Amino acid sequence: MLTTDASQARYLIDPTRLDLAREFRRVPRGHYSLELQQVLYRMRWSGVGQRHVLLMLEPGRRWMLAQLPARRGEPLKTFPEQVFTSIADAEWTVFCLRWELLTGESISNLNLD
Amino acid sequence: MLNTVAVIGYAAPIEVACGSTVEFKLSSATLSSARAQIVKIRCGDPDPSGPGVQLIAMPSPLDGEVALTHQPIHAGSCGLVDDAPALRALDSFSIGCWVWPTLLDAGAQTVVARWREDTQEGWRLGLDAQGRASFTVAVAGHTCSATASRALLEREWAFIGASYDSTSGQLEVFQRSLDVLGGRDRSASDKGSAPRHAAWPAGLPLSFAAHLRDDGTLHLTAAHFNGKIDRPRLHAGVHSLEALRASAAALRPVRGDTDLVAAWDFSEAIGSDRFVDRGPHGLHGVLRNAPTRAVTGANWSARTPHWTEATEEYGAIHFHNDDIDDCRWNTDLSLDIPTDWPSGFYSLRLSATDTDGQPAESHVPFFIGAQPGQARARLAFVASTATFLAYSNSAIRLDLQPTEAMLEQLLVLGPDDAYLQEHRELGLSTYDTHSDGSGWCYASAARPILNMRPHGGGYYQMDTRVIDWLDSTGISYDVITDSDIHRHGAQLLADYGCVLTGCHPEYYTQQMLDAFETYQAGGGRHVYLGGNGFYWRTAFHPTKPGRIEIRRGLTGTRTWEGEPGENGLSSTGEPSGLWRSNGRPPQRLVGVGFDAQVFDRGCAYRRLPDSLDPRVAFIFEGVGEQEVIGDFGLRGGAGGHEIDRVDTRLGSPPHLLRVATADDFGSGGLATPEEFGVSHRGLGGDQNNQIRADMTFFPTARGGAVFTTGSIAWGMALAHRGYDNNVSRITANVLRRFIDPAPFTGFGASDEEAY
Ligand SMILES: [Fe+2]
Repeated sequence: MLTTDASQARYLIDPTRLDLAREFRRVPRGHYSLELQQVLYRMRWSGVGQRHVLLMLEPGRRWMLAQLPARRGEPLKTFPEQVFTSIADAEWTVFCLRWELLTGESISNLNLD
Repeated sequence: MLNTVAVIGYAAPIEVACGSTVEFKLSSATLSSARAQIVKIRCGDPDPSGPGVQLIAMPSPLDGEVALTHQPIHAGSCGLVDDAPALRALDSFSIGCWVWPTLLDAGAQTVVARWREDTQEGWRLGLDAQGRASFTVAVAGHTCSATASRALLEREWAFIGASYDSTSGQLEVFQRSLDVLGGRDRSASDKGSAPRHAAWPAGLPLSFAAHLRDDGTLHLTAAHFNGKIDRPRLHAGVHSLEALRASAAALRPVRGDTDLVAAWDFSEAIGSDRFVDRGPHGLHGVLRNAPTRAVTGANWSARTPHWTEATEEYGAIHFHNDDIDDCRWNTDLSLDIPTDWPSGFYSLRLSATDTDGQPAESHVPFFIGAQPGQARARLAFVASTATFLAYSNSAIRLDLQPTEAMLEQLLVLGPDDAYLQEHRELGLSTYDTHSDGSGWCYASAARPILNMRPHGGGYYQMDTRVIDWLDSTGISYDVITDSDIHRHGAQLLADYGCVLTGCHPEYYTQQMLDAFETYQAGGGRHVYLGGNGFYWRTAFHPTKPGRIEIRRGLTGTRTWEGEPGENGLSSTGEPSGLWRSNGRPPQRLVGVGFDAQVFDRGCAYRRLPDSLDPRVAFIFEGVGEQEVIGDFGLRGGAGGHEIDRVDTRLGSPPHLLRVATADDFGSGGLATPEEFGVSHRGLGGDQNNQIRADMTFFPTARGGAVFTTGSIAWGMALAHRGYDNNVSRITANVLRRFIDPAPFTGFGASDEEAY
């Protein structure tokens, strides 16, 4: 039986590599440098019950942050105070959440533009 | 937020012809009525960067309010045998079967029973909430059980059985592991005592993989079992585990065994919803909600991996507590399709204001397919219903951990996805796994499908982008369905000068491939505007319209893997898996075949030297020699998502011209598993020139020809800049030329004759 281990991704993110955060801020979707690919790959395996997603409120215009529950049949957990009008903002918000979770250091208040 | 799930429903049948009748089965948990109207779908994709949802109202007698009720869905498969004197008359008895449990923490599960849950009457053999074999008998208001002392193992065979001695009231239950090595032995037994001389409830069916909730005529069930059941045996009198196991070992009952009541043989009638009893009383039964058949039994020897060659080793059925085949809802509306309606993608639109005061708009999809001999245009667009069904209610973004890494972006879910997350009774797609982790082999149209309708997502939506573009060009066309091609063969295609397959015609039956081959060889012209097409060997059920079957095999881009020995289609007896593994790679039919997924960004095409060949000058009329083609669309390129390439070793024809290619994908271009034999670095698009989307043309015979773009993203680029772009221009150039019956010339002496 072919199975996937939800925690199989491994990569240690270097919290001093703010250049990679800056790169993502610049190009949230598209082609990334090899090191940013590695960071994002690790981030995108967020684990059972930990997976952040966007719930579309208006196609192509408005999205709410949400989280997938661990079990089938349970409702999505939504964050009504986190509504985005740009996909780039949403991607950045989740990137910052995951950076902090994986490195223990917050970057959401740094100016990385 | 538009409420798309306040009303849900399905059309029966999902495909209709003009002049025939379609019924709509609707349900709402919150609304008592909605406004109904039939619409023809020009574009179902709500993305504001495209044309947006475009629906054409089709006035009909259905226009107006429709009253709604809540119609529940009862998921979970089981087998039912009608009550019979031989079952009612049982005095002392013994029952046993092989089981291969797959989800022990799903609560108590019934394997075989004549049991009513509401009144707690009858008997049942199953697993308790700890996964131990347990036998319960209710006699004169007393419920007595015997339960084995330890839990079975998941995905390991065990023989379980039980007996009731009516003269002493003694109960016995036992379980015996098939493999007893390495800690796998879970053999155990238990005894109990119950009152003597039990009388069993009348009118109650015997059930497999569940028991009855009550004595209602719907025969609603509970305590569904997850896993396989193999060779159940029912005997009068008290028999040991060894005797019952020997009874199951004899594939046909021993003649003269006067104690035998029933010997069910699930290896008979594998392609149907029936199952057979080889015992003396003909206690045959029916299956509900399509459990998986053609699965290996405890006696599977692996001397062949295909069930038709050793049916006696396929006497098991795999039941799931989330199987769903037919919701069996009442009909709310029905419509005789007017004979003058054009063929196309249609839906019943239901509009209302939901209980939160938000606008509600739900769609119940159906297709009107042009029939043989009724062509109204030179061009036919094929509705890929097998593919839409294969993806129906796909939950891969909800359930599959690697999906975000694969799609290379934060997942965006719509209201339909949020609903599906909570309402698993709708049933999932053939991309998904059941609650026990095994793959969904069947998909049925007799249930609400949320991603095959306007405002939803998926490949249905992408194909409506092609329909929108066709409508924008003024080229007239019919819509034919792939299942009609399956049913009627090449004669349906032969009505047309050109046939167009859309973004992702992935699931094909042998009959559909044969029809296209015959069509191409007979002078037909085929335009394939997509990627990853003609890929999986699929079945339409021969007698149940709207039910498809697929087995995932052991290679290919697949979200689950078929079990060894379980890759034959139960519906037809054919092998499944990739067409490439079945000797018919897509390259042979359409010149190109699947090579990679590319989700991070799209890529433009560049012209190749073959494009300067005067024989194919028509393709690039109005397009410069150095012009970049399709640097726009889905993630910035008309090449992308899933892409196909030429490979002469896999059957791309010698006369093929590779006129353009999109091959600058970078490391996000990821080869499909069947494209490499051993793992090594450098398989990605940044270092591997086999990761590409090829645009090709080749002549067939008698004036026939094939044109391909090799990319799912192509169709999503058509509407760019108000349809004024070179993807649109090339597509229109090709279609106009392909509709024109003038022959293609200059492709070799032997062919000239045929032209
Ligand atoms: Fe696909």
